[in-house]
Amino acid sequence: MMADEDEDLAHLRKPNDEDDDPSDETPDFRLFEKLIGQDAKGLTLPKRGDKDFEPHATSLQLSTLEASRQAMHHVLSWQRTHTSKKHLLGTYDPERNMVFVEKAQGENFMTIGKAKGRLTWLLPEEALFLIEKGSLDCRWPVKESIENEEPTVEVEEGVPMSLQGAYAAFLGFEAGVGGKLTLEMYTVYASLKRSGYVIFRAGAWDDERAELQPPKDISVEDGRSANGHGWSSFFSEIWRRLGSLTTGDATKGLIYGPMIRPGLYRSYTDIYRLLEIVPCHDHKSPPNFMLEPNSSNPYRITFDIYKPDGKFKKTNRGPPDYRICVINARDTPVPTGAQLNDLLVTTPYDPPPPHQTNNLYQKLKHGSRNVILAVVDNGIPSYLRVSDANFSDEKLYERVGRAPRGKGGGFRGRGGGRGRGGGRGQGRGRGR
Amino acid sequence: MASIVEPFAISHIAGRFLLFDVDAISHARREHNVCGVLIGTIPNLSQQNVFLGIPLELMPEEARVLVEQGHAYILDDVETHRSGFLEMSRETRLTALKAMDEKGRELAIAAKKRAEERQAKALKELGLAPKETEPTEIPPTKLDRYFITPTTSYPVLPKQQETVSATMPEVPRSYPLFRYLHSKGYFSTPGLRFGCHYTVYPGDPLRFHSHFLTTGLDWDEEFDLLDIVGGGRLGTGVKKSYLIGGEDRLLADQCDSGPPLESVRAFSIEWAGM
Repeated sequence: MMADEDEDLAHLRKPNDEDDDPSDETPDFRLFEKLIGQDAKGLTLPKRGDKDFEPHATSLQLSTLEASRQAMHHVLSWQRTHTSKKHLLGTYDPERNMVFVEKAQGENFMTIGKAKGRLTWLLPEEALFLIEKGSLDCRWPVKESIENEEPTVEVEEGVPMSLQGAYAAFLGFEAGVGGKLTLEMYTVYASLKRSGYVIFRAGAWDDERAELQPPKDISVEDGRSANGHGWSSFFSEIWRRLGSLTTGDATKGLIYGPMIRPGLYRSYTDIYRLLEIVPCHDHKSPPNFMLEPNSSNPYRITFDIYKPDGKFKKTNRGPPDYRICVINARDTPVPTGAQLNDLLVTTPYDPPPPHQTNNLYQKLKHGSRNVILAVVDNGIPSYLRVSDANFSDEKLYERVGRAPRGKGGGFRGRGGGRGRGGGRGQGRGRGR
Repeated sequence: MASIVEPFAISHIAGRFLLFDVDAISHARREHNVCGVLIGTIPNLSQQNVFLGIPLELMPEEARVLVEQGHAYILDDVETHRSGFLEMSRETRLTALKAMDEKGRELAIAAKKRAEERQAKALKELGLAPKETEPTEIPPTKLDRYFITPTTSYPVLPKQQETVSATMPEVPRSYPLFRYLHSKGYFSTPGLRFGCHYTVYPGDPLRFHSHFLTTGLDWDEEFDLLDIVGGGRLGTGVKKSYLIGGEDRLLADQCDSGPPLESVRAFSIEWAGM
């Protein structure tokens, strides 16, 4: 999954983008200005402006550039104002590096903040995002004066925290609650927030590492598949035993003789199974860590992401839709196998969903565990999905062999995409 | 646009280099071909990722170039803010609040006026005569004032004394090539998504397409020939060329003591569609 700034707005229709240069990082702010003050209904995302190949010092080019720059300057100078009706006031707590709000109202708080008694507490990224989007008026705490001139200090007596002040306060503060927020993490947080996702910190960031996630529902799944086959699996079991009588212990025999001994073979499946001598990782086995615990390991899950839907409750979140690990492109090398393993074992066992059971390639892509890496290069995030592909579980010969023996209907109906192997297997099966 | 007095401050926060002043952002762009990356959310338009706002994140290379040439200096914004706001005296605080109130009131009045004008215009379009009300002066106390979240902390905090930047921003080894291209008037943006160090533009990226996907190497560094194939293929695929370059350290050391020589060389690679 690669997604970046080129993604279109959720609520705006995207215009024809045939001329869209994928490299076009800098949108034309002139078009953005036109967008403001229109009806929200008829809005289309402005096309990226037509650009020139190189400067040729004509007045036309210079004046167009000047117009773009001025438009940009204008948009960037917008102020964050709060009317007294919608005024949301918060106070900065320098000890915890968090913000508390007394009257937490509005839809922002459906997905942000944690209520504790009278107050709602905001984590650094939550507070910073609310300030940046212009929803929160955060105040610096008032220094308690020694003479106690003001016994009851109102929140409003504090100096407003500027955007600059908010970045300076919230980023990189080591001693805060739950670990420090880096600019890369915030960049990803804000970018997903703007896209409409619901996003929370995964665990506490100052922990040494997250918990192992052993597979849970395997026994259930195995039981189901065994029941599903019924008689057919009973017969295949008999054939398997007959086969093993003739071949003996497969690995032992390998030392002395051919991999496939002369004997009775009822299907290719048995032969393929004998050829399978290279051991491989079992995705359903309990996972374990390969590296020593280390809180400075960059490869850890940073955020839990939920797709936006109306039913979301922050007190009862349920398992997230995606897990994301934020990486700084400039100081983090490509992960080692051990690092990837340790990252993936902290994600839950997540086999392909049942509706994918017929599509081998989707299943392989989905994998048994997966995580999204958000690689940030100086403010520009790129998202990559890493999954543990189940090549060893998706046995082509089993899939082929099973088809004619009862479960066949489903396979045959979708035969189109399954290619040569499927067709041949079915033919054989019926022939017998 | 207000003019900027050089050297201007670059905020150093959590190891990153940020600009918050819109004038400084425009200035760096116009005068020093440094464009950085806008990473902030634009207030009231927080549901989109196409147009982003303040702050501007500078690459360490960009910050370094600006500091080396004396256009800017690095300011430790974390310490400045902690000491400045948490230890603020009562007088300073009240002055700041008063200034904020006045500004908020002005904004509220302006907003009200705009609303009235719109109303009058709408009525006129419908062919109705606007109500004959004199534009009455609203007593400032009656109107609900706006609260403001300022973008920068200045001038509430006293202007920082320009300190000689003791520590230069740390830069990767591709820096000499960056500096070289910058000195020739090119604009650069981070290049991760093209698998290179910088995407290089012949002019302001607002107006021009980029020409080069650039990777900086050391002078005697050995690299895989496949990198050229990969970079060249990718560059040609997106109508750009792949550019590699590096600095001859020996020559650079000579320059320090003698006449300035060009110590950086760059090569551009294109797929010849034969």
